[in-house]
Amino acid sequence: MKSYRTILKTELKLSLRGMDMLIFAVIMPIIVLVVLGIIYGIKPAFEGASYTFIQQSFGALASIAICAGGVMGLPLVVSDYRSKQILKRFKVTPISPVTILIVEVTIYFLYALISLLTLLAVAVLFFGFKMQGSILQFILGWILVMVSMFSIGMMVGGIAKNSKIAGILASVLYFPMLIFSGATVPYEIMPKAMQNVVDILPLTQGIKILKSATLGLPMDNVLLSILAMVAIALICSFVAIRLFKWE
Amino acid sequence: MEDVIKVEHLSKSYGNLKAVDDFSFSVKRGKVFGLLGANGAGKSTTIDCVLGTKKADSGVVSVLGMNPTTNRKELFGQVGVQFQETHYQENIKVGELCEVTASLYKKPVDYKSLLKKFGVADKINTHVKELSCGQKQRLFIVLALIPSPQVVFLDELTTGLDARARRDVWQILSKLKANGLTILLTSHYMDEVEILCDEICILKMGKSVFYGTVPEAISKSPHDKFEDAYLWYTDEEVTQNEVI
Repeated sequence: MKSYRTILKTELKLSLRGMDMLIFAVIMPIIVLVVLGIIYGIKPAFEGASYTFIQQSFGALASIAICAGGVMGLPLVVSDYRSKQILKRFKVTPISPVTILIVEVTIYFLYALISLLTLLAVAVLFFGFKMQGSILQFILGWILVMVSMFSIGMMVGGIAKNSKIAGILASVLYFPMLIFSGATVPYEIMPKAMQNVVDILPLTQGIKILKSATLGLPMDNVLLSILAMVAIALICSFVAIRLFKWE
Repeated sequence: MEDVIKVEHLSKSYGNLKAVDDFSFSVKRGKVFGLLGANGAGKSTTIDCVLGTKKADSGVVSVLGMNPTTNRKELFGQVGVQFQETHYQENIKVGELCEVTASLYKKPVDYKSLLKKFGVADKINTHVKELSCGQKQRLFIVLALIPSPQVVFLDELTTGLDARARRDVWQILSKLKANGLTILLTSHYMDEVEILCDEICILKMGKSVFYGTVPEAISKSPHDKFEDAYLWYTDEEVTQNEVI
């Protein structure tokens, strides 16, 4: 426990010193929220809708930090620490190298949490946001999306041959999901054909869950999305654990 | 005297390449053991197998009477390790690296006094990457000593150091040895091996070609300088030429 706390403190400092996660996981979602707020204001999502555009987008915005930490932050840090032999160094101490992986997961969890809270504060204060659905359902969905995205990241970081390959894979996963899954560009304004294509992205499914929970829509509609998220989490975790390369 | 490190019939292959081939040696308490050989001779693989960071194909390893794989937690509370080209987090500072390292052990030595002893106490708020090579190596010795170890493994500690910095490291190691620490080191510098090591083993393509003291190595070779003797043991061509 003492090791975990000390490593967490140091790794947090290092992460903040790097600035990139602060920008991509905390500041960027706020900017997207403000831009959408300025464009759509507190207008209903569509004519006759019982919720605003911002309410409809909130779940998507909350997933930006999860996506940044899960498929960009985690793979990069894991492969970097392996190539720097930091994981190997832990193997010759009384502490398991798993500890430092848990620390990294904690850090990206914290970024996602801070992003969620700041988004909530800005949305409530400036755009009249109200959670229409169940808060518990939203939190469960948020955790499910996080577990699923983090397991993708752990798998990529754990099995990528080196930092360079991890970086390429992370970019291939991160940028399409950031732009096309509905996280930044709203899914609703995409043409139907495009929606069908982007449905293949894991985060698109995750966002559907969060959206449903925020708006209080029946969860039966997103049952398939929930199953997809659970399947991804199970498969990627399994692969990550079985094939993880420590050096 | 008890064997702190005991290795029997260690073998390790990568595919068809025999990196270490039926290698046995032991290091007694308070002794400095030098593992020598050209790059690729099997030094680092041997250290990896002894520490359990690589799995040996066959052979028995014990360190402080323990198996490094099954007694990992207990053993590595008493062992200090410095890998070849030790790396660290990109933006980490000296003090932070020491603090994290200390947090891994039950009874760590006060790292601030260690930093002071090794003349890098004023660097505590400096980024590790900004240290000079000599300062870095002294920091890595500090890290290896934080657990208050009974035995330390130092892989190419002085590679890349200038003459002055190497002398400083020798002095430090001599003092540690005088305090009863057992040391296993690898090195490419025969002058330092001659000064520091009680016993050496010369590896060539994974096989031990000499095992004994430095004077023995010289007397069993046709040379009277250790460096020449070392080259004689490791270099096939020289041997053949001299036979001719």
